Amino acid sequence: MKTISIIIKSLKEQIRSYWVLLLSLSMGPFFIFIYFLIMETSKPQYTILVVNNDKGVSINNRQINHGNFLAAYLKNTKEGSIAIPFTVNIVTDKITGIERVKNKKADALVVIDGSFSQAIEKRKLNDSTAMPKVEFTGDLTNTNYLISAVWANELLNEYALYATHNKKVVEVKETALGTSATASGFDMIVPGILIVSLIMLMFTASIAFVSEIENKTMLRLKLSKLTAFEFLGGISIVQLMVGIVSVLLTLFTALSLGFHYTGSLAIMIFIAGLTSLSIIAFSLIIAAITKSANEVLVVGNFPMFLFMFFTGAAFPLKSEAWFTIAGYPINIQGLMTPTHAISALDKTLIMNMEVFSIVPEIISIITLTLFYFIIGGIIFKHRHLKLT
Amino acid sequence: MKQTQMETMIKIEGLKKRFGDFTAVDGLCFEIFRNEIFGLLGPNGAGKTTTISIICGLLPPSEGKISFNDSHGKDHKSLIGYCPQENIFYPKLTCMEQLLFMGQMYGLPSKSVKTNAIDLLNLLGLEDKTNVRAANLSGGMKRRLNICLALIHNPEILILDEPEAGLDPQSRILVRDFIKTFGKEKTIILTTHNMDEADRLADRVAIIDHGKLLLSDTPQNLKRTVGEGDVLELILENSDENAQNQFAENIALRSMNIRINSESVLIKHPNIIEQLPAIKNLAETNGLTISEIKLRENTLEDVFIHLTGKSLRQ
Repeated sequence: MKTISIIIKSLKEQIRSYWVLLLSLSMGPFFIFIYFLIMETSKPQYTILVVNNDKGVSINNRQINHGNFLAAYLKNTKEGSIAIPFTVNIVTDKITGIERVKNKKADALVVIDGSFSQAIEKRKLNDSTAMPKVEFTGDLTNTNYLISAVWANELLNEYALYATHNKKVVEVKETALGTSATASGFDMIVPGILIVSLIMLMFTASIAFVSEIENKTMLRLKLSKLTAFEFLGGISIVQLMVGIVSVLLTLFTALSLGFHYTGSLAIMIFIAGLTSLSIIAFSLIIAAITKSANEVLVVGNFPMFLFMFFTGAAFPLKSEAWFTIAGYPINIQGLMTPTHAISALDKTLIMNMEVFSIVPEIISIITLTLFYFIIGGIIFKHRHLKLT
Repeated sequence: MKQTQMETMIKIEGLKKRFGDFTAVDGLCFEIFRNEIFGLLGPNGAGKTTTISIICGLLPPSEGKISFNDSHGKDHKSLIGYCPQENIFYPKLTCMEQLLFMGQMYGLPSKSVKTNAIDLLNLLGLEDKTNVRAANLSGGMKRRLNICLALIHNPEILILDEPEAGLDPQSRILVRDFIKTFGKEKTIILTTHNMDEADRLADRVAIIDHGKLLLSDTPQNLKRTVGEGDVLELILENSDENAQNQFAENIALRSMNIRINSESVLIKHPNIIEQLPAIKNLAETNGLTISEIKLRENTLEDVFIHLTGKSLRQ
C-alpha cells in the first residue's frame, strides 16, 4: 500500500517536473534521428557503368547480342539477389564512361568488347581458343571500385557460364549470421541507442531520490512508518516505467525510420527492464553522494559519459578482454551494465541468436545491478537515512 | 491547567546526548502530562531541538530514557506528530495530495486520511487551497500546511518547533487559536525562544540552557520565582557607565532590584508605582535622562535572566 502511494506520488512529481522527464525521454529518439541522418548521408552506393561495344552475331537469321544480355543480367541481378546497393547504368561510349568515373559519378566502367557475342557463341561450340573480352576501368585505390569490380566480375562469370551452357566449377555457399546480410549500418547502431535512452534514466532517477533530501521531506518519511525498502522500491518502479516508455519511444522512432530487427520484442523489453534497474541502482550511488538536483546534474555527467561512450552505446567499441569466464570476455567496460545489455540486444535483435546465448549477459547485468544497489544503498543510508 | 487530574504522557529520565566531547543534553528529567501544552524554552543552542529529536525518535539518546503512555495502543511513530520550524513539504503536490500521501505513509486507510485532511485544512483556514500546489502557497499558508502534515495521522502528541516564527499576524492568530483548541484534546510540546509565545500558550514551561533543565512549572509560578510586583523599564537617552552605576547603587540602597542592560534599566519592587517619583529624582541627580518609561508584569524572560544572568535573545 505504501509502495503504491510512493509510486503515485513519484509519478505525479515526475510528470510535473516535465523538463527533466522530457530530456530523458527525448534523448533516445533524438539520437536515433541523428544517427539515421548520418547513416543516410554516408550510405555506400556502388555505381557501375556499362559500355556495350558488342556487334552481336547472326545465327539462323537471328541477330544475337550477348553484350545486351549481359547488361540486362547485371541490372536484373542487382535488383534481385545482391544485398549491396548496386546501380548499373548504360553509357554510349568509353570516353564518356571514363570521364564519369574520373568525376566520381561512377565507381567502375565495364566495356564489353565488339566480339563478345562471337566469342561466346564459339565457346558454346567448345572452341577453347575463343575468349570473350571485357575491360574493367576504375581507380584501383578506391575501395568502391574494388567492391564494384569484384561483384561485376562475379556476375560476368555467372553470365558467361550460363551463356556457354557450362557449369560452375566451385559452388560457394555464404551463410550470414542472423540478419547481418540485410542489416544496415543503421540497424547495427540501434541496439546501442536503445541503451542510451536508458542511460538517460540516470538523471531522472537520481533526482527522484535526491529530491527527498533537497526538500528535506526525508525527515517526514523517516518519522513515518515507511521502510527504506518501500521507499527505494516505489521510486525504482516509477523509474522502471520511465525506462520502458523511453526505450519503446526510441524503438518506435527507429522502426519508423526503417530499423529491422529479428528476435522477440518481449526479450528486448526484458533486457531493457533489467538495464533500467541497473541504471536506477547506479543512480542511487549518485543520489547518495549528492544533495540536490543541481549537484546531480553536475556529478551525473561523468558516469553518463562513461556509460555512453565507453560501453559501445553511442558508437561501437572494441577492447581487450582481461580474461574469459566460460568463453565470455570480461574487460574494464564490463563493469558497466550497458556493455552487457548492448551485447545481449545485438545477439537477439540483430543476430537472431537463441535466448540461451545471452545468459552470460543477463547474469552480468543482474550481478552488477545488485552490486550497484548494495553500494548505493549503504552510502545512501549512511549519508541520508542516518538518524541525525 | 488541570494539574490535579494529570496523567503522565511522556516521562523523560536522565536524558543525555553527547556529540563527541560536546554534551547537547545533560541529564534532563521532566514529565509532560496528557492534554497539556508544554513549552520548552531556551536560547538557541540550549538543547531544545536535540531533546525534541530524541523524543521523535530521530536521534538515539546517549543515556537516559523516554517513556510514553501509549494507552491508545499506538506505536511510537503514530503517537507523535512533528512540525519542524522549517516548512517541509512536497512543492509539486497539492495540499490534499500531500496530506493523503503522508497519511498513507503512516499506514492509514485512504478514507480516514481524506476525512482528516479535510478537517485539518478547514481548521487551519486552508480549505480554499485544497487543490493548490504547496509551492504556490504564501509563507503563512505553508506554515499552516506544515502543521497539517504533522497532524494527518491523528497523533496523541504534537511537537511544534517555533510555531509562530516568521508568521504574518493573520496566520499567527490562526495558529495560536489552533494550538489552544488542539491542546484541549492532545498533548502539545512547543519549543521556542519567544517568551511571550510560551507565556501565552503553554500550561507549563521547562526552561533549559546548556542542555540542563533550569526550572519547570506553570508560567505564573515561574514568574513568581523572581518575586512579586511589576517591572519598571527605563529607556535612557545617555549611557554614561559611571552615572548608571551610581544610579544603580542608589536604587539598590532603597531595596529595589535593578538590572542594567545596554539599552534600558529594569527596576523591580512590590510597589513600583509608589517608588516612581523617587526613581526619577535619582536618575536626574545622577545625570541620567529618561526618554521612555514602561511598566509591565514579570515575564518569562525575567525568569530566564534571573536564572542565568543573561537574556534569552543573547
